[in-house]
Amino acid sequence: MDSKEVILLKKALERQKRARKQAEKILEEKSKELYDVTHHLKETNSKLENLLNEKTSELDGVFINIIDPYVVMDLQFNVINMNGSAKEFLGYDHTKEHLNLSQLVHPDYIEYTFESFQSLIEVGTLKNYRAKIFTKDQSEKWVQINSSLIYDAERKPIAAQGIIRDITQESEIKELLSEQKKQLDIIVENSPLGIALTVNGKIVKVNKAFETLIGYSQQELKQMHVKDISTPEDKEGSIALLEQMNQGEIENFAVVKTYTRKDGTCLLAKTQVSAVRNGEGKEDYQVAIVDDITAQKQLELQKEKLLLELEASNQGLQEYAHIVSHDLKSPLRSINALSSWLMEDYKDVLDENGVFNLRQMQEKVESMDRLISGILKYSSVTSDYQELTSVDFNQVINEIKEIIFIPDHVQIKVPEPLPSLMADRTKIHQLFQNILSNAVVHIEREKGLVQIEATDMGSHWQFSIADNGVGIPKEHHERIFKIFQSAGTKEGSTGIGLSIVKKIIDLYQGKIWLESTVGKGTTFYFTLKKEL
Amino acid sequence: MNILLIEDDMIETMKLQRTVSKLQLKHNIVEAKNGEEALNTLKEATPLPDIILLDLNMPLMSGIEFLKILKADDKLRYLPTVVLTTSENRADLLECYKIGIAGYIIKPLRYEDYESKLHKVLDYWNINELVRA
Repeated sequence: MDSKEVILLKKALERQKRARKQAEKILEEKSKELYDVTHHLKETNSKLENLLNEKTSELDGVFINIIDPYVVMDLQFNVINMNGSAKEFLGYDHTKEHLNLSQLVHPDYIEYTFESFQSLIEVGTLKNYRAKIFTKDQSEKWVQINSSLIYDAERKPIAAQGIIRDITQESEIKELLSEQKKQLDIIVENSPLGIALTVNGKIVKVNKAFETLIGYSQQELKQMHVKDISTPEDKEGSIALLEQMNQGEIENFAVVKTYTRKDGTCLLAKTQVSAVRNGEGKEDYQVAIVDDITAQKQLELQKEKLLLELEASNQGLQEYAHIVSHDLKSPLRSINALSSWLMEDYKDVLDENGVFNLRQMQEKVESMDRLISGILKYSSVTSDYQELTSVDFNQVINEIKEIIFIPDHVQIKVPEPLPSLMADRTKIHQLFQNILSNAVVHIEREKGLVQIEATDMGSHWQFSIADNGVGIPKEHHERIFKIFQSAGTKEGSTGIGLSIVKKIIDLYQGKIWLESTVGKGTTFYFTLKKEL
Repeated sequence: MNILLIEDDMIETMKLQRTVSKLQLKHNIVEAKNGEEALNTLKEATPLPDIILLDLNMPLMSGIEFLKILKADDKLRYLPTVVLTTSENRADLLECYKIGIAGYIIKPLRYEDYESKLHKVLDYWNINELVRA
C-alpha cells in the first residue's frame, strides 16, 4: 500500500469514527428522551390511578350519603343494592330478604310501570316515572323515580338504578287543590253573572257567562284589556275609580257601564270591581262581576215611554172632552136664546100650548147641558192635575153648604170636627158636593137631617154621610156608582154624580159602600188614604 | 163704549146685540168673526175700542192665539180684554190669565142669565176710567 492509499484509508476511518460518534450521540439523546417520556407516563398513570381512586371513593360516598332512596335492580326488578334511605322508605332490606320491586307497584300502575320500563330499556334513561306503591307496612305512597341503565364492558345493559322521591304529600295537596279548584270552577262557570279576573286591567281569566255576555272567547279576551271592551264614553269614569282602587283608597266600586260586544252591539251592565291584595297590601288582581241589565233597562225605558204615551193620550182625551163639550154646549146656548126670543117676541100670538112646548124645549136643552157638564167633570177626574194641599174638611163642608140648594126642612150637621188631609181641594169638593146634594133633596119627612162623621182607620180615614131620606132599594146599591145609572127620580138627575164620587175615591185608594133602608134613610161610607 | 166683539157664532153675536139694545145701553159694537179679522180691524180702527169681548173657540185663529199677539203689541196690549166662552177648561182659564185678561166669563145656558151677566160686565167697564186711545 502506498502512502496515498494509507492516507485515504486513514481519512475514511476518520470519517467513520466521526459518524459513529454522531450516531452514538443521537442514540444517547433519543434514549434520554425515551426515558423522560417513560418517566412522564409513569407519573401520569399514577395520577390517573389516584384520580380514579378518588372518584370511586367519592361515588361510594355519594351512594351512601344520598338522602333520597336509591335502588339498583336487575332487569327482572330484583333489588341488587339499595341505600339506607331506600330501606327506611320502603321498609325492606335486600340483604335480609329478597325484594322484587314490581311487587310493590299498585295494581292500577302495573301496566304503566312495564311500559315505562320498556322505554327505559330502549332509551337508557327514564325521567319522571310516577306511580303509587305499597311499602312494607302496606301504606300507599306516591313516588317519582328518575332512573338509568347500567351496562357491562360490552355495552350490554345488566341493571337499572333509580332515585326515588316520595311525592305522597305533594300529590295529596295537588289532588285536594284540584278538587277545590274543580268545585270553585263549577261555581264560577255556572254563575249567571259574568266574572273576569284582571291584572292592571289586563284580562287573565273569565267565566262562561262573561264569554257569552261579551261575545269574545276566553282565548281572545286573554289578549285584551278592559279598555278594549269598554265603550269610549264609559272609559273615563271607571278608569278614575280603578286608579283610586290601585292607590288603595277604595277596596271596591260599582258602576253601570256599557261594554262593546264582539259583534259591535252594546251591553249595559252593572259592574262590581273588587281588589284582591296580597299580604303586603299590594294589589294582585281585580275581580269584576258583570250583571247584564240591558233587558232591565230596556223594560224601564219601555215603561217610561208607555207612561209618556199614556199621559199624552190622557191629555188628548181631556182636550177632546173639552172640545166636544164646547161644540155640544154652544148650539144648546143658541137654541135656548132662540126659544127665549120666540117667547118674548111672539108672546102675543103664542097660545098656551105653544108656550108649554117652548118651555119643554128649554127644559130638555137644560138637561142635555147638565149631562154634558157631568161627562166633562167625570172625564176631568184624573190624577193628572192633582194639586195636593192640606184640605180642611170642615171648611169644605161649610163651602158646600153655601153653594148647593138645601131645602128649608133639611139640616146638615157635623157633630165632631172633621180631619184635614193632603188632597186636591177641588176633588174633595166634588166628592162631598155630589153626595150631599143627592142626600138633601131626597128627604120627604118633616125634619130632614144629614150627618157627617169621620173615623180614623189607621192608613185611611173613613167618612160616613147619613140621611133620613127616602132610602135606596137594595137592588140599586151596586148600580148607582156606574156612570149614567141613576136611582133618583128627581128632575135633572144625570146619573153621573156618584160615578164621579167613585172615581175620586179610587184616586185616593179608598172604597165606597152604603147601607140603606127604604123609608128610613141612607148612609154612605167611604174611605180615603191618608198618604198617597 | 166702543166694544169689539170677536165671535164666530152668529147667534152669539145676536145675543149681545139684543142684550145691548134691550137694556138700552149706549154701546157701539164692532164685530169680528175670528182673531185675524179682529187684528185687521184693530189696525185700522180710530179710535180703538174701549174693551174687547173675546170668544176662545174659533176657527183659523183661536182666542188664545189672538190674545198672545195682542199682548205682544206695544199699543194694543193696553186694551182690556174680557174672555167670553163656554169653555170651563181650567187649563184655558190659567193660560188666559197668564197671558193677561181683564175677565173670564162663562156663557151661561139660559139667555136670561146671559143678559144679566153681560149687563154687569158692561156696566162695570162703563164706570171704569178707560184708556181711550
